[in-house]
Amino acid sequence: MLRTLRSKPWLARPLFWTEVFAIINVGFIGFDVAIAHQMNAFEHSSEYIPVFYSMAAAPLLIVAMMLGGPEPATRRARPEGYAPWRVSLSRQIGLLVGFGSLVVGIAGLILHLRADFFQNMTLKNLVYTAPFAAPLAYAGIGFLIMLSRMADGRTREWASWVVVLAAGGWAGNFVLSLGDHAQNGFFHPSEWTSVIGAAIAFGFMTAVLVVPDNRPLRLLAAGVMMLQMAVGLAGFGLHVYANLARPSATLWASFLYGAPAFAPLLFNDLALLGLLGIWALAVNRNGEPARAEVELQPVA
Amino acid sequence: MSFRGLFIAVLLSTAMIVSAFVLQAKRPRVEVDRPSADLVKATGKCADCHRKETSAVVHEFEMSRHAKAGVVCLDCHQPTKGQEPYDHKGFTITRKLTSNNCRACHEQQVDEYMKSRHAAPAWAAVTGAEDFTPEQIAFAEAIHPGAVDRPAHPLVAVQGAASINKGCRQCHDIGKPNPDGSIGSCTACHARHVSSVELARMPETCGQCHMGPDHSQLEIYHESKHGVLFNVQRHIMNLNARPEKLTTEDMPVPTCATCHMSGLEGEKFTHDVTERLSYFLFDPISQRRPNYEAGRRNMKAICLKCHTNPKIQEFYGGAEAVVRSTNKLVKEADEILAGLRKENLLTPEPFDEPIEYLHFDLWHYGGRTAKHGAYMGGADFVQWHGYYEIVSKLTELKKSAEEIREKAGKTPEESARAAEAAQAAAEAAVEAAEAAAKAAGEAAGRAAEAARGADLPADVFTPGANDQPGGAADASNTPK
Repeated sequence: MLRTLRSKPWLARPLFWTEVFAIINVGFIGFDVAIAHQMNAFEHSSEYIPVFYSMAAAPLLIVAMMLGGPEPATRRARPEGYAPWRVSLSRQIGLLVGFGSLVVGIAGLILHLRADFFQNMTLKNLVYTAPFAAPLAYAGIGFLIMLSRMADGRTREWASWVVVLAAGGWAGNFVLSLGDHAQNGFFHPSEWTSVIGAAIAFGFMTAVLVVPDNRPLRLLAAGVMMLQMAVGLAGFGLHVYANLARPSATLWASFLYGAPAFAPLLFNDLALLGLLGIWALAVNRNGEPARAEVELQPVA
Repeated sequence: MSFRGLFIAVLLSTAMIVSAFVLQAKRPRVEVDRPSADLVKATGKCADCHRKETSAVVHEFEMSRHAKAGVVCLDCHQPTKGQEPYDHKGFTITRKLTSNNCRACHEQQVDEYMKSRHAAPAWAAVTGAEDFTPEQIAFAEAIHPGAVDRPAHPLVAVQGAASINKGCRQCHDIGKPNPDGSIGSCTACHARHVSSVELARMPETCGQCHMGPDHSQLEIYHESKHGVLFNVQRHIMNLNARPEKLTTEDMPVPTCATCHMSGLEGEKFTHDVTERLSYFLFDPISQRRPNYEAGRRNMKAICLKCHTNPKIQEFYGGAEAVVRSTNKLVKEADEILAGLRKENLLTPEPFDEPIEYLHFDLWHYGGRTAKHGAYMGGADFVQWHGYYEIVSKLTELKKSAEEIREKAGKTPEESARAAEAAQAAAEAAVEAAEAAAKAAGEAAGRAAEAARGADLPADVFTPGANDQPGGAADASNTPK
């Protein structure tokens, strides 16, 4: 293993894993959106946009990785061993995908604003309106993809922005958990777990952002993230159980209209991003990174 | 560990959690304190889709008292016993709502409706007993003998299914049996999503069916002083007042529902529209209902909210005189037809000869209209749409009978003798039938009224020769 890490040092750096995280997320969100919009029977043709976008974006990022190396490069920090045109093209593809994600996310937010809540702003409509904050997941991923190509992945600045995006994700997750379970009227008290969990995670991510150099705090925050993973898995199990236990015409209908099975896995997803951010804060010290320490390597 | 970091983490987390609790607590209890999670979700989930599809349904519901009371779509749309469940976007609902769905909250009203002629007798009047279960027939027959265990209306066979489906059944389905074992749907009068008391109190709601030449109640009402006043004062009335609290201040002028159903100023309100009726006015020859005295007393209790007792007695006396008088004329027409049948000059089948339509028009249009006009204060309908139609058609009927006999080669003398014989036979038959019906009715009435016999109104006609439907009694009986 050590030999592998020596020959492929990018495996031991958060930048590569953050990029992998982004590729998986941009692809999976399309699948999740396809299910969500299926509930609406894709009433508007624009509802297909995120699905097709994800189908194109994830492969494009993989192509970019193959062209420019496993770690995204900024204009200044370029990996050795790769032709400059390849690195440049890889970066341009990444920026394009990131910007596209941003556009899809913000456009989705605006399209979701046509929901009831924005015609009649009541608490009731807020609870049952189309999840207008959900498309911002694309925006978050878009920012992450662009971040790795606009800020040096070896710097504290990059690490801090990863933590910012993780904290933003937890804030969004808090709103989504609150809104989704409010539709149920928190019928089962266990539904509060996700709301409380998301709030704690947001609090600790913010704290780490304000006090990034305190190791015990980072460790505690990492522990909180690990706990969120358990919350996510438990939620996934409870949602699947609720759909299986509830009689419906078909199993597909149960999952389509029942408890959203994948939604709790957002806890695991954001916990991973939080851990990546904490890891990056730990390894990307203040000041210029030691060149030897974080030298980018070409793909073997 | 950094105190600053810990403080920020705890402060932010706690603030968010508390704000979530506060937001949830601010929601109306009626939205969240429900027996199932589906009922909670239905609060807004159904509207979220149906605002885009069938949006009028959502707006109608939002106007309803149901919505204000926190009733949600699923409260009514969830399947009850005997209804096939249907999975619809995560909810289990029923495709067709019946009176059983309303019964969950309005049991007394549905029970009263089930006893009324709006229930099984309404549907049976068109299609006969074939759509009902033996239990439904037994239940209805115990209250309305002969009204359900009967053949389909003869016009069904003559006119065919298309006209019956788009015509008769559109009104008579108020008493249609449902697959879940219930009968009818309350939405016939209250509408589906607005579920409105106001709507049920509007004359036009009753007038959806109670109009036209066969039962011109809507037209008669609008001619009556009640109708004229209502049309002028409608905008200042409170037709939405709760049934148990309705006063003459809310409705100083009555509509159909006020007199026949509403609990005006403490009176019992009812969904059995027969409780305040005293005659079978829809029959060719109208006889007293078994609850004749109670029906009059119940109706007069409502009349007394606006009219003095002598005025009410005068009104009732005049109306009953019209009943007896039209009975006499209709019986005369019956005898003409009976004579022709006895002479084998008509086929036994109904509605296959012009004279049968003439006879039907005479009582079904003219006869009913005169009687309804008399009880509802519609003078023109008593006279020109009523009596005039009866006597003109009776003249046509007599002429037509003569022509039939002439065509059959019978001399006027033979015809006269035959007619006399037929008349005598018909009278005997009618009298026998009336006597039997009266005996049965009186027996039932006596049993029901025994406890309240002393309270009978002063103007109730004493049973006797002059009081026989179609007998010699006339307007001279009217108290002055």
